[in-house]
Amino acid sequence: MRKLNEVLRDWEAVIGLEVHTELTTLETKMFCDCRLSHDDEPNTNVCPVCLGMPGALPVPNRKAIESIVMAGLATNCQIQPRSYFYRKHYFYPDMSKNYQTTQGPVAFCMYGHLDLEVTGQGARERPDGTVDKDKDGSYVAPIRILRIHMEEDAAKMVHLGGGEGRIGGASESLIDYNRCGTPLIELVTEPDLRTPEEARLFMEKLRQTFLTLGISDCSLENGSMRCDGNVSIRRRGTKEFGTKTEMKNINSFKSLHDALEYEICRQAEVLEEGGIVYQETRHWEPSKRRTVVMRVKETADDYRMYPDPDLAPFDLSNEFVERCRARVPELPDAKRDRYVKTYGLKRTDAAQIAGDPAVSRFFEEAAEAAPKAVATVANVMVNLVPATKALLAWQVASLSSLLAQDAITFAQAREVLEVVDGTELDPQKVVDERGMRQSTDTDALSATVDEVLGRCVDQVRQYREGNKKVVGFLVGQCMKASRGTGNPKLFNQLLRERLEA
Amino acid sequence: MDTLSSMSAARIAAGVASGEFSATQVAEASLAAIEASEGEVRAFLQVSADLALASAKRTDERRAAGEQLGPLAGVPVAFKDNMHLVGTRTTCASRMLENYESVFTATCVQRMLDAGATPMGKTNMDEFAFGSSTESSAFHRTNNPWDTGRVPGGSSGGSAAAVAAGEVTISLGSDTGGSIRQPACFCGVVGMKPTYGAVSRYGVVAFGSSLDQVGPFGRCVQDVALAMNALVAGGRDSLDSTSQDVRPDFLEGLDDSVEGMRVGVIPALMEHEGLTAEVREGLQAARTALEARGVQIVEVELPNMASAIAAYYVIGPSEAFSNLARFDGVRFGYQEPNCATLAEQTALSRAHGFGSEAKRRQMLGAYLLAAGVYDKYYYPAQQVRTLITQDYRNAFERCDAIMLPAAPTCAWRFGEVSDPTQMYASDLFTISNNIAGNGGVSVPVGLGSQTGMPVAAQLQGPAFQDKKLLRVARALELGIEEAKLHRPGTVAPAFAKKGGDLA
Repeated sequence: MRKLNEVLRDWEAVIGLEVHTELTTLETKMFCDCRLSHDDEPNTNVCPVCLGMPGALPVPNRKAIESIVMAGLATNCQIQPRSYFYRKHYFYPDMSKNYQTTQGPVAFCMYGHLDLEVTGQGARERPDGTVDKDKDGSYVAPIRILRIHMEEDAAKMVHLGGGEGRIGGASESLIDYNRCGTPLIELVTEPDLRTPEEARLFMEKLRQTFLTLGISDCSLENGSMRCDGNVSIRRRGTKEFGTKTEMKNINSFKSLHDALEYEICRQAEVLEEGGIVYQETRHWEPSKRRTVVMRVKETADDYRMYPDPDLAPFDLSNEFVERCRARVPELPDAKRDRYVKTYGLKRTDAAQIAGDPAVSRFFEEAAEAAPKAVATVANVMVNLVPATKALLAWQVASLSSLLAQDAITFAQAREVLEVVDGTELDPQKVVDERGMRQSTDTDALSATVDEVLGRCVDQVRQYREGNKKVVGFLVGQCMKASRGTGNPKLFNQLLRERLEA
Repeated sequence: MDTLSSMSAARIAAGVASGEFSATQVAEASLAAIEASEGEVRAFLQVSADLALASAKRTDERRAAGEQLGPLAGVPVAFKDNMHLVGTRTTCASRMLENYESVFTATCVQRMLDAGATPMGKTNMDEFAFGSSTESSAFHRTNNPWDTGRVPGGSSGGSAAAVAAGEVTISLGSDTGGSIRQPACFCGVVGMKPTYGAVSRYGVVAFGSSLDQVGPFGRCVQDVALAMNALVAGGRDSLDSTSQDVRPDFLEGLDDSVEGMRVGVIPALMEHEGLTAEVREGLQAARTALEARGVQIVEVELPNMASAIAAYYVIGPSEAFSNLARFDGVRFGYQEPNCATLAEQTALSRAHGFGSEAKRRQMLGAYLLAAGVYDKYYYPAQQVRTLITQDYRNAFERCDAIMLPAAPTCAWRFGEVSDPTQMYASDLFTISNNIAGNGGVSVPVGLGSQTGMPVAAQLQGPAFQDKKLLRVARALELGIEEAKLHRPGTVAPAFAKKGGDLA
């Protein structure tokens, strides 16, 4: 198979995503009072409603409706004043009523969009000339969202005795209805994504948005956020869509990217060899880095959708929508822009911190404790904190202040973090106790500089002949001579002053 | 000596409250009446003697402790077998649920118990309420107490027959297209379908969710009003999101004069070819009786009523297909043994668990909801629904209630109607009421001149004006009594003295 970059020069990929997100932060299920849980004993959080017992009736979870409206507002959707629940029929025991309660043509949220900033290496997947790029190669991709609708999740099934956990050939099938009826929102994009990187970024941005809203724990690994990717390709310059395939079993951002990459290259190979792409569902195998056919869709399934007569049409009042709007917190993009504007952070650092509500909360706490060293706090957050386990915000503030004062080097900072990580220790004290604080006393350092210049005659000559890089060696000698207590920046400054004189 | 069957619910509750007799004695009298009559009537699928006696004992203990008793204290009540009551099976008269034990109690049942009623058992019905004669019960037929060679009507045939035979004083039924009003008519008792949303559907096995409504049977309008009070007490049921908060006192002003009120009649309907002469005569007698009470009769129209049956047989089966999809033998109900695959188990459990009418309706619904078919039938049916609702709104601008037959004929003989579409047509006068969702009540107006079987007039009122509707029903009852055509409170003659003596 050819490489993605080559393929995308000749072919345009058309990608759409369907993203299911469980509203894990709610306390109860979509249509009953059963507790939401991920790891309770099987079939302990069940009742007549979610078990589909005869005579039971659904009562919608108001908080779930609030969550989906907030999701719609955060993704620039139009909130529909009137929408309905529908019944989607299929006979399978994971759906206890043999129909899923979902929404019909009109969802709570319609016609939104998210704008993606594609930068760096990822931006190179999109061939030049197919999009307006900035000088640094980055570009903005506006991605339309068709709809976000509300539905209920199915039960978990485990098939024993068959091959690879499938029902075919299984001797027993176990059903755990704990998950049945979990509130689920499904977001469907328009087919506006053009590269695997854009798809990955979209998912990442959506996850950051939902995390910030606090409506889900958004775990791809545990399946509380699930993504199906639809992809087709067409010759550059043509308008007609190709036949699409649907990718399942995507449980990481990397899987999403790699599955799409593989599938685009596979489809290109099939078409270039004169073959046909079949409309089918394919399963991503991460270990073998390939997709395999799950099932071929010959006919569209007939779900016999119709409005659920047990649930009255939803009329969302303006007041309700406005109450939800008031509850939407500052979203990652706005937060990023504020960090850049208020603290002068680098845009990429600001975006990384703003993207995760826990990280940004931590950052703001540390920034508040070290108001003179906010940029350093951000630097520490981006470069050092990810490797630690249990740092406290004030420890980061304290350490950042030391760095900002040039009292320690970045390498020392790493060392200090290792010591204080998981403890209540103050970095300032650790630095003092270990004598790590670097001297910024110019007089004391000057003596060392003079001593080093006196004995490194060769290097001094080289510098004066134009090899300015040799100053690094001289700084090293100064550090050695001061046994690490001198500030390297100051040594550098003093050395240059002497050498240029 | 008074027998249970000669007493009204109010009279029984008063006797229990005053200590004239105990709730236990009443329960025993009801069990004796059931013992004496069931052989001929077969209204019950299950008699819950233990539950009844335990419940009656609690009522007596509460009285002994000086507690206030409910308005239905000690009144023997039966429930249609699609209503859950913990301690009983709820079979829906189907092999599918032959051994299904209720895991919770329906709101409507609980509210009757909360009012002090004694639960005597579960009554026979058409399987899953699909039918108009109770003949589609998977277990046995129920005989009309007025003539055991005739059907009791349906689908709540058992509930109507149990009250008509004096086995219980009040019963509950459910009405999707006439399933309370038509058997009430056939069995000569009062049967009410309240406005959709007035009574909770929680715990009633669904047939057509947008059409189903629970309501009471009694031998007089006052008993029905008493039961209605119990059913709406507590207001909106938080477990049924389609239920509404309406809780008028249906007894208050029940006997007030109706002078000057207007009742609409639909002349075109009375010309319907299937309408028998005796039913036409009965309606004429009802009109005269109402006029005698000072009611003004006006002519109104429901121009789209002719489309009601067609719309009903789209909406009803579509909802039924969907509601009955859960019966797959996996979690409960009949499970076909020795199947090799899930698909085989699902298919055979349903093939052998459901009777033919239940299968017919579900297959019809599966067809009607299919892609390409849905647009042709379901949408027009909903449009008809809007038009009929509009027709009623227009008609009620000119009158307080509309009077029409409850059924085109009196109860027919077993086997007389075998063509399903002919059976469906017998719901002609009741269906539009479910389509529009407003209330209706069937009131006995005497015996037919041809068959000697009970004839009823049906009164329909505007949505959520069921209280006024019952007032008109009461006026009709009084007028009919004055005309000596029917005495309210009476049971079918053959069962009048059968057991159930009370001191």
